[in-house]
Amino acid sequence: MGCESCSGGSCDRDKTGLPPGMLSEYNLNQSPAEGSLVWIEVINDGNTIMMNDSSKEILGKLQEISDGRIFGVIFGDTELKVLYGEIFSYGVDTLYHIKDKKMIQFQPEVYCEMLVDLCNRVMPAVVLMGATPRGRELAPRLAASLGTGLTADCTELKMDGRFLQMTRPAFGGNIIATISCDHFPQMATVRPGTFPMPEPMIGREGTVIYRQYYGSNYKNIISSERIISVDYDITRAKILISLGNGIKEKESVAVAESIAKKLGGMVSCSRALVERGWFPQSRQVGQSGNNVFPDIYMAFGISGSIQHKAGIGPAKRVIAVNIDPEAPIHEIADISVIGNADSILKEMNKLL
Amino acid sequence: MKYVILVKQVPDTTRIKVDENGNLIRQGVPSILDPYCEYALDMVCRIRKPEDSVIVVSMGPPQAKESIFRCLELGANEAYLLSDKAFAGADVFATSRTLTAFIRKFAADYDLIFCGKQAADGDTAEVPAETAAMLNVQQFCYSENIIISDTIKVTQNYNDEIRVCTVPKGSVLSVSIGDINRRVPSISDHIKALNIEIKTLDRIALGLGMYSVGIKGSKTKIESSYSPRYEHSGKIIDGTDPSEAAKLLIKEVL
Ligand SMILES: Cc1cc2nc3c(=O)[nH]c(=O)nc-3n(C[C@H](O)[C@H](O)[C@H](O)COP(=O)(O)OP(=O)(O)OC[C@H]3O[C@@H](n4cnc5c(N)ncnc54)[C@H](O)[C@@H]3O)c2cc1C
Repeated sequence: MGCESCSGGSCDRDKTGLPPGMLSEYNLNQSPAEGSLVWIEVINDGNTIMMNDSSKEILGKLQEISDGRIFGVIFGDTELKVLYGEIFSYGVDTLYHIKDKKMIQFQPEVYCEMLVDLCNRVMPAVVLMGATPRGRELAPRLAASLGTGLTADCTELKMDGRFLQMTRPAFGGNIIATISCDHFPQMATVRPGTFPMPEPMIGREGTVIYRQYYGSNYKNIISSERIISVDYDITRAKILISLGNGIKEKESVAVAESIAKKLGGMVSCSRALVERGWFPQSRQVGQSGNNVFPDIYMAFGISGSIQHKAGIGPAKRVIAVNIDPEAPIHEIADISVIGNADSILKEMNKLL
Repeated sequence: MKYVILVKQVPDTTRIKVDENGNLIRQGVPSILDPYCEYALDMVCRIRKPEDSVIVVSMGPPQAKESIFRCLELGANEAYLLSDKAFAGADVFATSRTLTAFIRKFAADYDLIFCGKQAADGDTAEVPAETAAMLNVQQFCYSENIIISDTIKVTQNYNDEIRVCTVPKGSVLSVSIGDINRRVPSISDHIKALNIEIKTLDRIALGLGMYSVGIKGSKTKIESSYSPRYEHSGKIIDGTDPSEAAKLLIKEVL
């Protein structure tokens, strides 16, 4: 018993893929799928190694909605060992560490091959990952390889036994659909920032199982450069001052930066201002920019197009400053100020 | 080189309005070629050599021919519409399978496949990677720049990382940004496009079974959907006096 490709003999599936002692007759018309598998995205910028926040949020949600076992998967070499304790503290019971130097870099094809193999072994009922750029690339590859469905960018998950109900917004949040999947594993990516950050259970323990990749399907990555300095990442801001096409004076950019600094927030923008060349794309909020999750989102001179609103769904409070009382941004605003964005920014800066 | 571009027709989401109950008003909203697909096609048209062939393919209702025609104007020289009543209601899995069947049967000797990063309407961004998996080839999402010489190199933008990779032949690329100064089709492009036939292929032509396509071949099911009413307090403040407005705003955020 035990499978030969795992270390430590702690893997409890035998070759039939059934738990020990289970008769194969029981498998005739019922999938043995149970538990959840989560890809734990690791941020590694050469200096620091961290668990991605979205992975923590998913683990927190899973503990709330399911009592099944939670399997985690990480890819990379021995440097990831420092994360084990943290990963267990967020609720992972069994952690599969795919040990491979080359997998420190994101390799969707190889990650997928290993995940297919793991899913066949573990038979999870649910597979989840963050709807981060990498999660959104890896999840569909895995779903197609497993021949199962995928619901992208979920904002709510419910579980009934081992069956998952997935809820996601479409058309910039104007339609909310609840989706189910008739295959195991049921797969979803989860929009970062939607679920609250759970409290870690310090000292909680789990099992680590090492696995190795023997194939050679690696991508040839010629160069890789990190572009967001960890200190200016609008997706982490608690307060965002966001500027749009209604901003007429270039000076307002500096004014907004100054206000943001005083409030402990950051400055973001709509696509219109990226096109104007006033901001780099990393500051853009929306469908083709970033999803942001601030406590307060202040939109100055932003009309609120579907593409823009798609990025500010989970913002807790929206304040809109717009000259036009009919602008669609007001539909989602808690407070609408009908006025001139440039001059209100200036006054705010003076008062702070 | 032979390029295949997967395209989709979508309602022009920049023109969809919402009524007071939060329902989308779709009536009168024109259908357009998905902007991200247009970016992908534009990228191909900029790198292609005159002898290269550029094939566009779309799954959709007969009306989707309009968008395919636009692709021909923009520079594609062969076009297919995958259309069949049985394709209706397809989720990403069934869609990718249908597109994969087309590629296997009608364009198996392709060199590269291009897609838009996501469709502006559904916004799921899954088709490129699912298709790559089904064809068992490499995928390059969020592509921004491609250079073709002896080898093919692509620049990908992951928001926090920019990477450059070598692209093996057969790969699927998804394109996330477009050139604002994209070429606009001319009259002669229009006339050229009129002379190219858009071939329609149905389920049988693609060799797919009833249960492989459309709603029957889908793995996910929409259980329910609704238009949310925003439960914001929606306070409206007159901002004619900027300093008064600024005072109020500061009180709200502090
Ligand atoms: C495929 C695709 C993807 C896209 N992705 C994104 C995306 O990720 N993010 C994004 O933002 N956009 C995106 N867009 C663009 C989007 O459709 C809108 O064009 C864009 O968001 C508009 O930006 P805006 O609201 O700043 O400008 P506008 O729509 O021009 O709005 C300007 C607003 O400012 C107000 N205004 C004017 N003067 C003043 C003043 N003096 N004081 C106060 N208010 C004033 C006006 O009433 C108006 O409401 C995308 C579009 C497409 C087709």
